[in-house]
Amino acid sequence: MQKIKDFIVNSRVWRSFFRHGWPDNPLDRSLVMTTNIFFHLHPVKVSRKSLRWSYSFGLGIIAAIVFTVLTVTGILLMFYYAPTVERAYTYINTLQSQVPFGQLLRNMHRWGAHLMVIVVVFHMARVFYTGAYKPPREFNWVVGVILLLMTLGASFTGYLLPWDQLAYWAITVGTSVAGYAPGLGPTAKATLLGGPEVGQEALTRFYALHIMVIPAAIALITALHIWRVRKDGGLAAQDAEEEGETNG
Amino acid sequence: MAKKTPQPESFSPETAPTKTYSLVELVKAPTTMADRGPDNTIFAFPAVALIELLLTLGVIVVLLGMSLAVNAPLEEIANPNTTTDPAKAPWYFMGLQEMLEHGHPTLMAVALPTLMVLFVIAIPYLDNDHRGSGVWFTSARGKRITLLTALYALIVMPIYIVVDTKYPLREILRGQFPDFLLQTVIPGLLISVIVLLPLLILLRSKPTSREIVLVMFTMLFVSAIVFTLAGFLFRGPGFELYWPWNMPGGYSPWDNL
Repeated sequence: MQKIKDFIVNSRVWRSFFRHGWPDNPLDRSLVMTTNIFFHLHPVKVSRKSLRWSYSFGLGIIAAIVFTVLTVTGILLMFYYAPTVERAYTYINTLQSQVPFGQLLRNMHRWGAHLMVIVVVFHMARVFYTGAYKPPREFNWVVGVILLLMTLGASFTGYLLPWDQLAYWAITVGTSVAGYAPGLGPTAKATLLGGPEVGQEALTRFYALHIMVIPAAIALITALHIWRVRKDGGLAAQDAEEEGETNG
Repeated sequence: MAKKTPQPESFSPETAPTKTYSLVELVKAPTTMADRGPDNTIFAFPAVALIELLLTLGVIVVLLGMSLAVNAPLEEIANPNTTTDPAKAPWYFMGLQEMLEHGHPTLMAVALPTLMVLFVIAIPYLDNDHRGSGVWFTSARGKRITLLTALYALIVMPIYIVVDTKYPLREILRGQFPDFLLQTVIPGLLISVIVLLPLLILLRSKPTSREIVLVMFTMLFVSAIVFTLAGFLFRGPGFELYWPWNMPGGYSPWDNL
C-alpha cells in the first residue's frame, strides 16, 4: 500500500500537478499556499487577530462565496431562458413547473441575489467601523464602493428578466429616477432602456448587462480588491496589533 | 524561499559577491521584531482553508434552506397597460423612492444620493487621522459617538418621514410661494439641518477627523436603512404609510422581494 502511494506521489504526473508534499510541516504548508491558485491570494501566515470572527464576521469572503453561488445558479438558469418579451415569462413558468429542481434553482438565485446585496452593505459597514480604510488601504475602499454599486447594478438588471408585473413595474419605477437627473439623466435612461419605456430593447440590454458585462466586471474588480488586501498588508486587524492597541 | 548559496569563508565584499545585505543608514525607529512578543501568526493552511470551506457550506445550507422554505415571487406576465398598486422599485432602491415623497425629484433622488455616494468614496481622504486602524469604532469615545448618532437617526428620521407625509408643508403652501422654494430649498435645508446637527454638536468637543466621519457615516447609513425600510415595509397601496402587518387590499410588502 505504502509502495503504491509512494509510486503515485513520486510519479511525474502527480508532481506536475502538486508541487508540495503533504502539508503537515512549515515548508509544505507554505508551498501549499504559494503553489496553489485557490490559495495564492492568501499569505502563508495570518495573524490570529484577523481570523477572529468578531472582527470581520467573514463578510468579504461570504460575499465572494454568494457571488460564486450566483454565478453557478445563473449559468444553469441560462439553459432555460431567452430574453424575449414573448417567451421570457413562459420560460420562467416552465422552469418552475416542469424542470426538475427548476423552482429551487430560481429560488437560490433570487435569495442569493438579495443576500449578496445585504452582505456587501454590511461588509462596507464593517470595514468603515473598524477604520480599515485608513492608509494604505484608501484605494481599496474606493474599489469596494465601486463593487457595492456594481452589486446593486447586477441585482437590478436581473430583476427585469422574469418579465412579470413585479419586474416590469420595479424597473419602470427604478429607471424613472435616472430621468430626474438634470443634463445627462434622460440620455442615461434612454441608453439603459434602449427606448422611451421598458420593452424588448430594455430586456435585451438588461440581459447582456446581467449575464456578461456586470458579472465579468465584478469578477475582475474583485480580483483586484482581494489582491490589494494582500498588497496593503492583509486585514487591518494586524495593524492594530502592531500599534499595541488593546480595546476592540 | 531564498536559494541556498555556498557560504564564503569571510564576508568582505570581494569574497562575498552574493552578500544580500548592507548597512545603509541608522534610524531611530521601532525595529520590526525587537522587543516584541512571539509573533501572533499561524499558518494559513489549513486554518483559513477550513474556515473558507465551512463558510461555503454554511452559505449553501442557508440559501438552500431558504429556497426550500420560500418560493421566489412570480406575478402575472408584464402588462404595460395595468399599473400595479403600489409600484415599487427593488427593495434596495426603496430608500430612493421614499426620498421622492419628500421633495423635488432632482434634489431627493439625484442630488442627495449623489452627495452621499461621493462622501462615502471620499471617506479615506477626509479622515487624515491614521491611528486606530483595525479597531472597532477606534476608541470607547468613538463607540459612544456612533451609538448616540445611530439612536438620534433612528428616532428623528422616522418622525421626519411621518410628519412630512401627514403634514406636507410643500403641499399646504403650494401656490403661495415659488415651487423651487417649497420643493427644493426648504426640504434641502430641513434635511441638511437634521443630518448635520449631530456633527455640529460633536464639533464643540474638538473631535478627531475619524470621529467626524464616524458621525457622518453613521447618520447617513442609519438614515438610509430607515428610508429603505419605510419605503419597503411601510408603504402600501397609493404609496400611503401603513403598518406592514395591516396593509389594505391583501397587499404584503414581502411579496415584492
